[in-house]
Amino acid sequence: MKKIVQKKWFSILFWVVVLAVIWEIAASFVAATKRGPENILPHLYQIIGAAFSTQKVNQTMTASQLVLSSTATTVFRAALGFAIGVVTGFILAFLMKLSGAVEKIAFPYLMLIQMIPILGMAPIILSITGSINVSRIMIAAILTFYPVATNTLEGFKSVEKEKYELMASYAAKKRSLYTKVLIPQCMPYFFTGMKISAPMAITAAILVDTLQGDGGLGCVLSQSLRHAMSIYVFWLIVFFSAFLGIISWKLMGWLEILCTPQKRPSLRKKRPGSSEETLKRKEIKVCTREKSRFGKRFHRAEVSGQ
Amino acid sequence: MTGLMKKRTNTAQVSKYAEAEFSDDNEIEIEVKDLGVTFHDNSGNEVQALTGINLEIKKGEFISLVGPSGCGKTTLLRTIADLQEPTDGSIHVAGRLPREERMMQKFGIVFQQPVLFDWRTVQKNVELPLELMYYSKKDRRDRAKEMLEMVGLSDFADSYPSQLSGGMQQRVNIARAFAIRPEILLMDEPFSALDEFTKEKLHEDLLRMWRQTNKTVLFVTHNIQEAVFLSDRICVLSPHPGRLSAIVDVDLPRPRSTEMKFTPEFNALVEKVRNSFEGGSI
Repeated sequence: MKKIVQKKWFSILFWVVVLAVIWEIAASFVAATKRGPENILPHLYQIIGAAFSTQKVNQTMTASQLVLSSTATTVFRAALGFAIGVVTGFILAFLMKLSGAVEKIAFPYLMLIQMIPILGMAPIILSITGSINVSRIMIAAILTFYPVATNTLEGFKSVEKEKYELMASYAAKKRSLYTKVLIPQCMPYFFTGMKISAPMAITAAILVDTLQGDGGLGCVLSQSLRHAMSIYVFWLIVFFSAFLGIISWKLMGWLEILCTPQKRPSLRKKRPGSSEETLKRKEIKVCTREKSRFGKRFHRAEVSGQ
Repeated sequence: MTGLMKKRTNTAQVSKYAEAEFSDDNEIEIEVKDLGVTFHDNSGNEVQALTGINLEIKKGEFISLVGPSGCGKTTLLRTIADLQEPTDGSIHVAGRLPREERMMQKFGIVFQQPVLFDWRTVQKNVELPLELMYYSKKDRRDRAKEMLEMVGLSDFADSYPSQLSGGMQQRVNIARAFAIRPEILLMDEPFSALDEFTKEKLHEDLLRMWRQTNKTVLFVTHNIQEAVFLSDRICVLSPHPGRLSAIVDVDLPRPRSTEMKFTPEFNALVEKVRNSFEGGSI
């Protein structure tokens, strides 16, 4: 029993069941007290049914087709904004590491950008750029760059004094210091930043979609909420964008494993009988081999010394 | 410097006893004259870490710096390695300034912590300084293999540092320091974080490697037994302000083995060092 509880799939299943139960209770309650013609919180089977129904929700597409095609638009722009944000964030962190002056000047104000609510910033950027596409990308980039910049900077700062001194003792050039020590060491931090900001970029892109109607998940979302489309489409999008956020986060995790060999899961396992145990056994073997090289005299001395 | 830029293909002699230099016994490798180092602490007060140090270290000698914490033994090592500026006096290493020697990559430093790079395998960790010295790929690999064999870690060449025990990590650290065949090996309490058994084994390893390569070793420790077991001479430092209070010659025969630690001669030397701290024993 205890073993099943510790399994990962069990905790996932547990939460799915708990949430479904809560959902159904809430849906029945809302259905009993609703005032409008449509149930704002439909039952789960109704949402799933809507996803597989062949009925067209607008002139050309079924609910699932509509969600998937608008996802493509949104995800593409979110990804582009994310990429721009990541590159900007990394370059900023790099510049702040290179020069303390840049850090002192830029860092406190970078945080300010993060403090402006996205809902306030989005219409301004939209009116400046005049294009919903460009502003979608820009907002995603703005939300992305800060977590990446701070985490990467933190990674640069995590390099211990001894590593600098070791490199100094090898008379290493500044370029080697960066390529061989600072950048590899900051990689896990850089990926942490990306993991935080990847779902944020998607959220931002959806949010900007809601401002103006030209496709994209957010646009369909606001339409369906205004009863221009079935409420099931609304919930499909909510679930689907949550799924997108999780996928984007996972994707960053996979990327990280690809780029940082020391973080491969095969190395992290520390179960009894696995890597660590065998390592110790190996070490003992090595030690005894070493001893036999020193001859019996040394071995005897050590035994008598104990 | 331009000589260093070229790939050193011809220096890759993969013999175990390579580069054993037969030099004049009296050649002075490190010369410290009236050295003084002063720090400023956080409140701006001057703290004298070292004062009036005079020391001559011969080529191929194994010297230990012993003293209680705060006596400036690490500062002395760091000043010789050009990681710390001297305030007074001068240091010459092989007739040159420490900075010039550092730029010529003559120092091998071993810190108390094994300062390994997590993202590199054990082998790649040992290869790192060789990469910086523009060795060819093949030479790097051969040298690293040779060094790992010397410290008994050949089986772990492709492991990552996080998979190794503390003692094994420190052995990688030592292998890396020896890999560049430094003229001078500077070791700052390399074994202080290790258990007794690992420590004894590494002592033997270190002495064996030192015998094979005949380098000058400067070894900082606060363990008197360790210093007596390893060294030719022991420099005893005393704190407040850090100064050299005695130099004890260790005339135990070489090669040394662990059983020597139980002889009366060994214990007499330990006692002698213990009594040379100014202000009595510690």
